[in-house]
Amino acid sequence: MIRKPRSRSILRRLRSSPYLFILPALIGLLVLVLYPFAFNIFITFTNMNVYHIRACADLFANATQADQLHCYALNSGVQNNLFYNFGFVFTDPAFVQILENSVIWTFSNVLPTVGLGLVLAFVLNSKVRGKTIYRLFMIVPWAMPSFITLLVWKGMYNYQFGVINSLLGEIGVPAINWLNGSCFNAFVAIVIANIWLGYPFMMIIFSGALQSIPQELYEAASIDGAVGFTRMRTVTIPLIRPTIVIALLLGSIWTFNNFNSAYLITAGGPGICTTIFITQAYNQAFSYFNFALAATYAFIAFIILFVPGFFWTRYTGLTRGGGS
Amino acid sequence: MARSSAARSVRKLAASALKHAFLIVMALVSIYPVLWVVSIAFTPGEALGNPNLFLGLFPIPSSFTLDHFTSILKLQVVVGSNFPVWIRNSTIITVSSVVGALLLTLPAGYAFSRRRFRGQEASMFSFLLPTMFPGVVTIIPQFLLFSTLGLVDTYFAVIIPYMVGSLSLSIFIMKSAFDSIPREIDEAAMIDGAGEFRIFTRMLLPLTLPSIATVALWAFMGSWLDWALAHVMLESNSLWTLPLALYAFLQPNYTYYGSFSALSLVMAIPVFVVFLVFQKYLVTGLTAGSVKG
Repeated sequence: MIRKPRSRSILRRLRSSPYLFILPALIGLLVLVLYPFAFNIFITFTNMNVYHIRACADLFANATQADQLHCYALNSGVQNNLFYNFGFVFTDPAFVQILENSVIWTFSNVLPTVGLGLVLAFVLNSKVRGKTIYRLFMIVPWAMPSFITLLVWKGMYNYQFGVINSLLGEIGVPAINWLNGSCFNAFVAIVIANIWLGYPFMMIIFSGALQSIPQELYEAASIDGAVGFTRMRTVTIPLIRPTIVIALLLGSIWTFNNFNSAYLITAGGPGICTTIFITQAYNQAFSYFNFALAATYAFIAFIILFVPGFFWTRYTGLTRGGGS
Repeated sequence: MARSSAARSVRKLAASALKHAFLIVMALVSIYPVLWVVSIAFTPGEALGNPNLFLGLFPIPSSFTLDHFTSILKLQVVVGSNFPVWIRNSTIITVSSVVGALLLTLPAGYAFSRRRFRGQEASMFSFLLPTMFPGVVTIIPQFLLFSTLGLVDTYFAVIIPYMVGSLSLSIFIMKSAFDSIPREIDEAAMIDGAGEFRIFTRMLLPLTLPSIATVALWAFMGSWLDWALAHVMLESNSLWTLPLALYAFLQPNYTYYGSFSALSLVMAIPVFVVFLVFQKYLVTGLTAGSVKG
């Protein structure tokens, strides 16, 4: 208390620009993000697609990738109706279901992954024998390239041969047609696989946050008589709250934009049951080579994430400075 | 008295048994699908293409081979590129990306935690923006940008995006780690005559080692397993990374699931090693951070 005025004057004396600290990161961000961002907004107004790319066909034989891409960009013109691509997306009869799928997909993944990660981090931060071994086992889903593990999940869901149905059979549950049955089954299947992929990293970030809490704070709390649940409520939870907030926020954004599970296990099917925004953008870009439509889907996804993301950071004070 | 302490120790034992039961179940769930990958890697032929593979509860290969492992060592998927080259490229790229990411993240996290300045909230929020824009559509413009700069087909073309790519999470993790260190520590050190840089490097960084380990691990994985960006940016065979080699086993007309699984397992080994190293910091970060110096 008494120190405060003195330290403040020292701080002022030592003041160097805070902008210097954030400048390198900010420059990287601006260069790598701003340009692609502007580029994508521009091509949402164009008709950059495979037909105009065909005009580049004679280049293909010996051209470098750079020449090809420049050719794609140059051979596509601005649409007569500037908002043609947006009109196409919004009048697509599947649009509402894709939007609904994306939102359900996001929430049904994020809450269990963050919850499981948090519980595991707490349990492994308490006195338990064999922590290192448990942690090592637990990060396995995260350490493997997801392509191969997702194909294994697809095999495990196989109606006739899959181990999941044979396990259910053991306990007397009739076989479930996971991937080609109802929308609900397919959705549950990809959500389970994706939770499996997601919780290890949540466990890691919560473990790091728990360990970063200075021991002194716990000592001070125990002198004040705070133990067990009280200690958790007054010391632990407030200090890891920002990490929970950022895990929920980034977890949602990543899940919304993560197409691996939906693409590799169900390929968006059956029908459009498991089609989400990002699989749609990916299909437009790399199956139909309609880059303008892909950019349009991506731009809409951006807006959908930006608005709640903005209010959530505001509401939780995530970006508020600690400042002296 | 004796009775209540007995009751307490029973309750303790039950709690510990419950914890272990939970952890064992989660550990089994975590590794079970990967046991299938192990099985595929040791089975002759391309087992994953055969749905019969998933019959039975335990993934035990019906016959055993090491061919898939020897084939990734021997194989030249493309001319001038083999296993040692992939390891070298992946190592150079990953280490540079992690170091670079830390150099960008740590000072920024510090400034966001300890200072107040104009545009603070806006600039911090802006680090979230790249995650909101799906990666599949940013790769092409990034490629055009790097080709204009003449950096395509060099290590820089992937290192720089990997460094920046990890920032959105890292800066927030570091800010909240610095926030959890009481400001009295900085102030006490300042009274002792330590400068800001010294406080940052000698006091705050050691105290936040567990979070630094998390951030480094995150940056490590971002570049170690990335295929999409490397696929676009690196054209020369001599620059191939492990993921590029891995996905080369997926040919349009034939999929080498066996070799794919084998290389996936090989690629996971360094992740475990790195994790074990960081695990040490996760534990020692506590004691190393005592505020006595």
